[in-house]
Amino acid sequence: MRPFIRTSLAVTIVLGLASPAFAQAPPTWKQGQPAEMASSPLAPIAQPPAPKAPGEIPVDKIKVPRGFKVSLWAHGLNNARAMAWGDKGTLFVSSRVAGNVYAVVDKGGQREVKTIAKGLNLPNGVAFKDGTLYIAEISRITKMARIEDTLDNPPAMEVVYDILPRDLPHGWKYLAFGPDGKLYFNIGAPCNICIPPDTHANISRVNPDGTGFEYVAHGVRNSVGFDWHPVTKELYFATHARDWLGEDVPSDRFDVASKKGLHFGFPYCHQGDILDPEFGRGRSCSEFAPPLIKTGPHVAGNGVEFYTGSMFPAEYKNRAFLAQRGSWNRTQKSGFRVMMVTLRTGDVPKYEVFAEGWLQGDQIWGRPVYTRQMKDGSLLIADDYAGAIYRVTYQP
Amino acid sequence: MATAGGARALAADLEAGRRKAEPCAACHGRDGNATVPGTPSLAGQPVYFTHWQLIKYRDGRRKDPVMAPLAATLSDADMADLSAYFAAQRPRRRPSVTDPARVAAGEPLAALHHCTSCHRPGLVGQEQAARLAGQDLEYLLRLLRAFKTRTASDLDGTMTVATQPLTDDEVVSLVHFIATLGEP
Repeated sequence: MRPFIRTSLAVTIVLGLASPAFAQAPPTWKQGQPAEMASSPLAPIAQPPAPKAPGEIPVDKIKVPRGFKVSLWAHGLNNARAMAWGDKGTLFVSSRVAGNVYAVVDKGGQREVKTIAKGLNLPNGVAFKDGTLYIAEISRITKMARIEDTLDNPPAMEVVYDILPRDLPHGWKYLAFGPDGKLYFNIGAPCNICIPPDTHANISRVNPDGTGFEYVAHGVRNSVGFDWHPVTKELYFATHARDWLGEDVPSDRFDVASKKGLHFGFPYCHQGDILDPEFGRGRSCSEFAPPLIKTGPHVAGNGVEFYTGSMFPAEYKNRAFLAQRGSWNRTQKSGFRVMMVTLRTGDVPKYEVFAEGWLQGDQIWGRPVYTRQMKDGSLLIADDYAGAIYRVTYQP
Repeated sequence: MATAGGARALAADLEAGRRKAEPCAACHGRDGNATVPGTPSLAGQPVYFTHWQLIKYRDGRRKDPVMAPLAATLSDADMADLSAYFAAQRPRRRPSVTDPARVAAGEPLAALHHCTSCHRPGLVGQEQAARLAGQDLEYLLRLLRAFKTRTASDLDGTMTVATQPLTDDEVVSLVHFIATLGEP
């Protein structure tokens, strides 16, 4: 552990609640940085404005276990993020700063990419049910009915729910249907570290008709990836931890919400056992749900998906794939890989690498951000940095 | 629309960029140093910045009656070429009239509001953050006011948040200071 030295109690500011008293608010990514690190060269990795051409995507650098193979499945999807399957075989793909939603149609082994919505406000969330595509932007969830029949002339987006907070920092959403038929999404903390408003730092849900909004989990700094266990139906989620506390702390987390209403510690306790130097005073980590796995410092855990297919070896059944987009707030980069978790009754989960190679030395050429199984049991991995989707297959 | 086999390489072409920039010259200057008050200079702007702005004009997030129809005709490759061309041009400070008292008041505001955190020391810009040094005063004023009123397109929300604590008087001082930076 190599914590950054804190010599002074720098005032930490709630971004988005601006008033003259908060005149010195730094940009969100820099907020919480100790004064002695003011000249640190660490800063978020800029999102390229254009996807990479196929010749610039070294798929052969992605290493997977023996018997698995990786190929480039689609490219040219600027900032490709979360993926959701339509009933008729269309893959819907979200983006963040690119503002687009894409539809990928497989035509005889060639993938055609159509942009079905553009100019949206960080539309990171896509979910699909009963012929309808749901899209989550910063402050609203919308839908497009019968979209797969109208990909070349998409219908207007119809509002499902549009009274969510408008904060941009950590305001982009993952969106998924739970086993209860409700739409789940995150409302992230509007800061690096702050006492968030009661309305933030949670996972929430709403009925697909926009009624019945409720909070599911509290104290969640920002979870932009979750899934439900295929057998127990419990909600498992990844969370990005705060920055500027150290090279090796705090760890990001992988959690299970075994019931509604649990508090997972933010901003008081990080990684289950480190009190925040400012906000943890007078608190104890024992007040909060501990992480199931400490997934590593600054790894930026995004996608979470339980494997239910039959192409991969039998031991992969019900394993969770965790896509880690990779660090910026760490001198030696971490993440940039897809991990896998094997849950074991009465034992700690097994946590190991599934795919890596987007990081070569200190250089990155891609950032794996979400996974999605195909019908045949192969696994798609979206890379928002290269604007590409890879397919992982297995042959014994 | 791109197909899996057919998307062209996006490697930027400076010479192509120079040719494609000809229609931009009337407002932004042949070398990206504009002379029309209120119109921004593009010379020396980071590649990512110009490219993202063109994307936003094309998809409607950034609104402007002149730029919107122009951007609508651009392909991704056009944007890459144009961005590379303007980034390679030497930026020259605009001949804005600045008030020394305003400039003096603006300098500490730039530090207080962390402008250099993203725009770098000297406000020369980097990646998606614009070069501000020596930019047209009228343009800077218009844009900062629009961020403050939440009417300017903002890629990730940073500028909207950053401008909220500023009074209009501070905005004016800040842009007077910024306009004095850079080489003539």
